[in-house]
Amino acid sequence: MEGMSDGLTWAAWLLIVPLAGALLAGVWPRAGRWIALATSVLVALLALGAAAQVWTQGPQVVSLGGWVPPLGIGLRLDGLAAFMLLVAALVGLFVGGYSLGYIPRDGHGERFWALWLWLWAALNALFLSGDVFNLYVTLELVVLASTALVALSGGAAALLAAMRYLMVGLLGSMAYLMGVALLYTQHGVLDLGLLAQRGGEGTAMMLAATLMSVGLMAKAALFPLHVWLPPAHGSAPAPASALLSALVVKGAFYILLRLWLTVFQDLAHPGVMQLLGGMGMLAVFWGGFMSLSADRLKPLVAYSTVAQVGYLFLAFPFLLAGPGGWHAAVFLVAAHATAKACLFMAAGNLQEANGGDDRLASVAEVMRARPLTSFALGIAGASLVGLPFTVGFVAKWILLQTAITSGAAFWAVGVVAGGLLTGAYVFRLLGPAFRPGPGRSGRPVPVLREGVTLALALVCVLLGFAGSAGLRLIAATPVAGPGG
Amino acid sequence: MNPRPLSLLSGGLSALLALLLVSALWDTPVHEGVSASVAGAMGHTGVAHPVTAVLLDFRAYDTLLEMAVVLLAVLATWSLGRCDTLPARPVQGPVMRGGLRHLIPLAVLTGGYLIWAGGAGSGGAFQGGAVLAASGVMWVLAWPRRPDLPAPLGLRVGVTLGVAVFLAIGVAGLPLGPGFMGYPPGWSYGLILTVETAAACSIALSLVLLFLGGRPWRDAEDG
Repeated sequence: MEGMSDGLTWAAWLLIVPLAGALLAGVWPRAGRWIALATSVLVALLALGAAAQVWTQGPQVVSLGGWVPPLGIGLRLDGLAAFMLLVAALVGLFVGGYSLGYIPRDGHGERFWALWLWLWAALNALFLSGDVFNLYVTLELVVLASTALVALSGGAAALLAAMRYLMVGLLGSMAYLMGVALLYTQHGVLDLGLLAQRGGEGTAMMLAATLMSVGLMAKAALFPLHVWLPPAHGSAPAPASALLSALVVKGAFYILLRLWLTVFQDLAHPGVMQLLGGMGMLAVFWGGFMSLSADRLKPLVAYSTVAQVGYLFLAFPFLLAGPGGWHAAVFLVAAHATAKACLFMAAGNLQEANGGDDRLASVAEVMRARPLTSFALGIAGASLVGLPFTVGFVAKWILLQTAITSGAAFWAVGVVAGGLLTGAYVFRLLGPAFRPGPGRSGRPVPVLREGVTLALALVCVLLGFAGSAGLRLIAATPVAGPGG
Repeated sequence: MNPRPLSLLSGGLSALLALLLVSALWDTPVHEGVSASVAGAMGHTGVAHPVTAVLLDFRAYDTLLEMAVVLLAVLATWSLGRCDTLPARPVQGPVMRGGLRHLIPLAVLTGGYLIWAGGAGSGGAFQGGAVLAASGVMWVLAWPRRPDLPAPLGLRVGVTLGVAVFLAIGVAGLPLGPGFMGYPPGWSYGLILTVETAAACSIALSLVLLFLGGRPWRDAEDG
């Protein structure tokens, strides 16, 4: 096809295909699974193509409809965007395969497919957007699709969690939108690149940075704004929990990082960045302790997301640590996304086999009799802790390396201590399965689901070999200010 | 938590935020924004009204996603369950129904005019759609026992139409030259009017269905 080598074309099709799939699945819910299957394979191929494009040709900024910013909207296909698109495609592909065995073929459950494709389209649009207002619209799409996915399992607990999530999400969006208004009042442009050139440090800029950061921190569930996450991710259907924990919280983190790399680069003072990193470390410990004291499987895994999101915020102090110091935290996104999606999928298998009960004490029996799921749980848990031979190990290793070489060794202490805490709750989760005792396989679980869960666990191992390639891709991100 | 300290806390925070916003904006000169570049580019778009040019040409992609937000809100509401039977009882007597017989055609005419007027002045798909939706809501309220809605498939196609038409026209820009979400030169007016009409119909239908607040058919009737 003519122009297929053009970066705009890859970016455009990465928006068009999931959107078209979502529209079709909305019109014909009964054909949802087949539409979703075809769409997810296509989007995965397109994400690979887009990443290859960035890899060979370098980053590209393109304007839609031929209107150059500030008049029109620009899309950015650079290393950071391509990496996030790839992570979303990888997790999406596996969650899709898992859902084929999870979503019942009745009318109600099948609404999952359209909502999932909407979420995917919204996330792709979010990762590619180069415009602060356009990012707001993608955030709205993400929060609507996510809320519906949380509520899909029905029941009072899920509806309450969904409602609370919607409220926090809207509050976050409002704060973000206020920041957009402040930026436009001062600079008269909305494009990330143009805003980065304008820069500025005044009171209004600081207020915009505060509003947008707090709004996005609430959406990313950074401690102490995390209280909505455990009930929402804990009560959603298993594939939805996997998507929400693996991808949706990362979307908010991605925008926050993008803003601090461009629009707010002049405000990236050490104190501010240390504050963000310090809040991340508090999240690591608070989430870890809550995981350790959880007595049910899904809340344990959900609180672990609160902890792991904390690590991502080390990107901010590392921005100032030297060129590309933030790359390590972005690579951790891939490690956490694969491990966490796998954990939620495994938790879904165990919960269903155990008749809907996910108390740790009673799930152990099922774990003993279901080696495929338990093995996947073990590998994903090891990756979460950062044990060798997993992508989690590579990610934590790069993170430690960045901390030590940049002379900020006290962050390394936090990373190691947080890793020990992760180890404690993962062993608490897995330990009972290795103790002798009765085993029962419980209710039937489709073998497809156990197979896909194990396959994703193996991906957690294989991705360990993609460390240097991943970092090279992320490095293809033009940054003018700190972190470049 | 006791609701009283909670409301005091949120009230205090809101007041603090308002104070900060006022102090930050007090001496910030208002930027003229993109009005100069919009004025400069008006000759290259097919419509005469700058707001319509921004919404449907320069920032068409934003508008596509905003229409998608409305559609997704409908799909999300449908995923929650069926709609309740309408609480309102039919109003007795001939006045309301007789009045509506005259009002609804007028509202349809006004809505249609607003869509068409968007090309040259104030108006457009969202305004026209809102007027059409208002007539739809009145119609539903007047005959609550007999919500004579189209078949489920028709409803789903109807709410999707606006986004689908806009996306199709946006995709057509790829082989035709101007790129994704661009109009071929000379075609913008006709294409913008097509998008606005389809969008207004979908927005109107979506708003009426959101008013019903749930899926007006059973799970078994999915096609």
